[in-house]
Order: sequence, then C-alpha cells, then structure tokens
Amino acid sequence: MNTVKFIVGVILPYVVVPAFVAGMSYRFWTWFKSPQPAKMTLFPAGGSTFREVLAETLLFPSLFRGDRVLWFLAWFFHATLALVFLGHIRVFTGAIDRMLEAAGMSPKGIDLMSSLAGGAAGILLLAIGLLLLLRRIALPRVREITGIPDVLATLLVVVIIVTGDLLRFSAPFDLEQTRVWAASLLSFSPVIPKNEMFLLHLALSQVLILFIPFSKILHFGGIFFTQTLIKRR
Amino acid sequence: MTNKSAMASVGVAVEDKPAAGPTAPPQKTPALSSPSNKIPESMTDNLAEEVIGAITAIEGGPRVLKLYMEMCARCGTCATQCPVYFGSPEKKFNPVLRSDLIRSIYKRHKTTSGKIFGSLVGAKDFRTADLEKWVQDSYSCTGCRRCATFCPFGIDNSVITRKIRGILDKVGLTPETMKRVVKTSLRTRNTDGASPEAFKAAIAFLEEEMVDEHGVDVKIPIDVVGADYFYVPPSGDVLVNPEATMGLAKVFHVLGMSDKWTMSSACFDGANYGLFTGNDADMKADNKPYVEEAKRLRSKVMLMGECGHAYRVMKMMMEPGKWWGDLPFKIINCMQWTAEHIVNERLQFDKSKNPEPVVYHDPCNFGRSCGITEEPRIILQASCADFREMYPNRGENWCCGGGAGLSAMDDILEFRMNVSGKKKLEQIRDTGATYVAAACSNCKRHLGQLMDYHKTNVAVGGVHDMLSRAILL
Repeated sequence: MNTVKFIVGVILPYVVVPAFVAGMSYRFWTWFKSPQPAKMTLFPAGGSTFREVLAETLLFPSLFRGDRVLWFLAWFFHATLALVFLGHIRVFTGAIDRMLEAAGMSPKGIDLMSSLAGGAAGILLLAIGLLLLLRRIALPRVREITGIPDVLATLLVVVIIVTGDLLRFSAPFDLEQTRVWAASLLSFSPVIPKNEMFLLHLALSQVLILFIPFSKILHFGGIFFTQTLIKRR
Repeated sequence: MTNKSAMASVGVAVEDKPAAGPTAPPQKTPALSSPSNKIPESMTDNLAEEVIGAITAIEGGPRVLKLYMEMCARCGTCATQCPVYFGSPEKKFNPVLRSDLIRSIYKRHKTTSGKIFGSLVGAKDFRTADLEKWVQDSYSCTGCRRCATFCPFGIDNSVITRKIRGILDKVGLTPETMKRVVKTSLRTRNTDGASPEAFKAAIAFLEEEMVDEHGVDVKIPIDVVGADYFYVPPSGDVLVNPEATMGLAKVFHVLGMSDKWTMSSACFDGANYGLFTGNDADMKADNKPYVEEAKRLRSKVMLMGECGHAYRVMKMMMEPGKWWGDLPFKIINCMQWTAEHIVNERLQFDKSKNPEPVVYHDPCNFGRSCGITEEPRIILQASCADFREMYPNRGENWCCGGGAGLSAMDDILEFRMNVSGKKKLEQIRDTGATYVAAACSNCKRHLGQLMDYHKTNVAVGGVHDMLSRAILL
C-alpha cells in the first residue's frame, strides 16, 4: 500500500508534469511546423484575427449560434473548470492566503469564500458533467459518433470531480498537509501525503493530465490553431 | 429565356436536363444510386498502399488536415447544421462519421493511442472494399462549410471531404459524370465542350436579342486585346442562362464603357471541377489558361461572373497562393463592379419590370467562402420591386443542396431533391417568393431542378438577370 502511495504522491508528479509539458509542446510544434495551407477564410470575418480567436476561446460564439443547449453546458463547464483550476492554487501554496490577508481578509473569511465558491463550483461541475454524459447517450446524432474514448474521458473527469467534492464536503481538509507536500516536491525532498481520498483524487487527475496530449482533450490547445485557420483574412 | 433552339442551330450541344422534371415520386429515405465504381481487380495490389500512403502523408501537412485528423471533440454540433444530415439524419450523413472514413486510418497509423488501442479508440485498418462507400459518402457532402461556421473549433469537414475525393481521384474512382466534366473542361476550356465558333455565334445571337428587345445596339466585345476588363462568365451563362451576360453588357453600355471590356472566345467558362474532384493538378491546369488569356488580352481587371466556386478558386486560392506568380491584373467579381455603380447612382432602373417577390440565395462559395453578400442585394434591391430575404442568410445560409459539384450529378438526383435540398426548399417556400436569384451556376441548376421536382411555381435565375430586365438604357 505504501508503495502505491509513494508512486502516486512522489513518483508520478515527477513523471506527469514533464510528460505533459513535453507532450503538449511536441503537438504544438508539429502543428506549427506543418506547412500553411491555402487561405481558407470563413466569412463573415472582420477585424482582428487575434480578437476573434480569443473570443472563440473564451465565449464559444460559434457554438452559441450552432447549438444553444450544448453551448450552455459546455461554456459553464469550462468556465467553472477554469475557476476550480485557479482555486487549486491554494492547495499547493499559502501565498494566495497571505496576499488575501494582506488585503484585509481574515483567515476565516478566506476559508468561507473558498468553501462557498469551491463548493458551488464542485456541485455545478458534477451536474454539468453528468448532463454532458447523458447528452452523449440520449441524442442519436451524438450517440452515433461516440466512441469508448469519449465516454472514458467524460467518466474520468466526472470521477475526478466526485473525489474532489468528497474531499471538500466530507471532513475539514488540511491544506497545510498538501502545501508541505508540494513544497517538498519542489525541493526534491518529497514526503508522502497521508489522506487516501486525496491520493485517489491526485492519481486520477494525473492520469487525465498524462492523457491530455494524446486524447481529444487536446482541443484546449488545438482550438487556437484551428480557429486561426478560418479567421485569418 | 433559354435559347436552346438557337444554340442547336449553331451546333452547340446544350445540356438537357432530362431528370429535372417531375419524374419520380418522393421517397422517404432515398438511397444514393451507385455511381458504378467497381474497383478493378488489377488495381487492388498497390491500391491499399497508395491510399494508406496518401492518408499517412497528412502527418506532414497541410496544417489544416493534420489538425482535423487529431482534434475533433465529437460534440455533434456539425450534424445539426449540415443540410444533408438535416435532410435525412442517417449515420452515413453525419459529418463526423464521413470524416472518420480517413480519420480512423490516420489514427491507426499515426497516433499513439491508435497504434496501441486500435479499434477501441476508433482506429481502423484500411480495406479496399470500403472505397465504394467512400465514393458514396464523399459525393454526398455538398462542401458548403456550414459545419465550420458552427463548430466550436472551426473544423471544416469540406476539407476532409475534398481529401477523400482527391484520394479516390488518384486511384481512378471519381464518379464518371465528374470525370467527364473535368476532361471536357481541360480539353476545351469549358465544361460544355463548346467551340469558339459556337461561342461567337451565341454572343451574336445575344446581341440580336438585345436589339430586338430594346432597339439599342448593346455590344458584347470578344477577344479585344487591350480592353481593361476581361469578363469570365460561369459555365452555361452564355449558352444556357444568357440573361446575366446581357445584363452585364447593358451595364457597360449605360456607363459608356462598351469598348473597355471583352470576353474571350477561348476562355468563356470559369468553372473548375478540379476543386470538386480534389485533384489539385487538374484544378491548376484548368485555371492556367484563364490567367494566360488575361495576360494576353493585357487586361487590368479580371471580372469574374456569377459563379461561386470559380471566383473562389481565382480570388481565394490562385491569387493569394501565387500559383502563377504576381499577376498584372486585379480580380474582382462582376457583382462588386455593378453594385459600385449602383451605389454611385450611375445606373437607373424601372423596378416595375420585376414586380414579383424575389429572394436572394447566398451561394456558399460567395457568402461563406468569399464574403460577397451585400453586392448582390444592392443589385436586386435596385432592380426588383419586392425583394425578400430568407433566414438564416449570408454567412449562415443553408446550401442549395447541390454544392461541391453534386449539382452536375443527375445520377444522385433523388438524393439532391429529397435530402440535400430539403432545407433549401423549406426556406424558399417560407419567403413566398416566385423568383430565386442565385449568383452561381451550380446553385441555379440544382435549384431549378428542385423547384420543378417539387412542383413549385418558383423561377430560378441569376442576379444580373433581374438587372437586365429592369435597367434603363
């Protein structure tokens, strides 16, 4: 059991982070170096390509016009995910807390804000994740293009959300423990985290991160390239 | 106004539209009639190698295809926006599954997950027998790019369709109709196979028509070296639907510029079916004589006619791609030219000549692919008493159902009339219009058949056609 904890808490982080950076850089590089095709502007296209691609990345206007229901699910899913991602910085460092305290917030206030925002985000993510999964199964046009990887990717994300929610809602979680762990990894004198639910959450998250460069979740980088192709005048 | 008898008298084979009438009863889910592409036995040895080679080569680019092979999220949005899937929501018409025809093979050979997990992640081995399905499926995409407009990642499935067709073309499996058009066009520089003499006779006939109609001598100059404007009409716009050509001639006449423009008896059909068969070499070979002719005529402007894909090949592909280096002439569309003179109040109209409700259909290649949407509306609003819009329109307009060359394929007429054209039929009916103006020969042919097949009282024509009837000389 301790071996498993050691692998998840100590070995994997040193593998996953470099593998992710290398994998994504490799994919970006192969796209970047492959020759530019003929112009393929899709009209109406006006003004700045940069601004249009940015708008597509942040607000999904094409999807908004194309499938309103999916836009609703997808936009709130991604926006909440981004919030949760930012919130996770507190898991790894006390710097945010110190900044907020310097700005006049009490530690209690910070914890309250974190539980409210984080708790709401956790529930929202889970609900939308399940709805997305339901959509995959219920709509014929989506079901017929759904493969095993599509279901697995969504399931994996849902399970990560569930374990994250369990961490937040089951018992008061000791952030000091994870901050010590993160600092120990950075100083190459790693300690093994003790909370088993955290280890499970961590293990699944690392699997997800490891697979991003090789799965369809790659779209979070590819969108810049594909959108630029059709927006460029 | 069709001048079939006149054309026949000058020896021009005018394309008949035998299947355009109310022939067969509408079917609920019409099958694509097979383009009869049985794979020759002798071919199968190297064939798999060649196909797989073409697909794996995508790894090296172009960037657009490589990205499309690697990052579809399979959300299904394209299916809701595809005219074909709308017409009949069958698996084979789902854009994602059509693109999967080659994506699955690319995955099998070029992605880590595909190499390791195979069919579990949607990777497949190529089977020669699948090629027949490739022909059917790739020639049931209208290449309208509507999917790209709504895809959250901007994935343009028409690029993949064209790649599939290109591979089929390489191994000789392009449907016969398309092959024939390409061959004719490369041999005679026009898709009808008409001779320069026939063209000249047709133009003389049009000039006579205009004298009869208006009592005014409106010139259509031919082969004038040094004329500023070289007009390149779409296929059929001289021989089958000549009103647009007369309309443009009248514009030059009113502006007092009849001596400033010319047509060419060697190059009078901008259609380029290499775009549709996916064969880049054919596309360039078809294009080259037109650029050379413009140089020979020492034109300052190549004035493209009402043909979406011809203009797109010239303006969006040939020019920016510098196929033939820097050009000594500009490329504009005749609708831009005319609209500019309407805006500047140099042309006058009698709208009462066109009292019927008229609606404009945005051809995909003009609206989505070239951004020409306002100019045709300016012309129609100036020359028609009751101009209407269909919704959605412009960049979001639905394809007529005959895009990407399908319009020329009467062997899939059932499919075009009942599946790919279904949405457009609804759209047009909703407007109550009795005339649909489409600035595109492919749209015009397909829409004409669609209106006949479904027994509507809607006429189909071009934009300059309406101008021609209302312009004051």
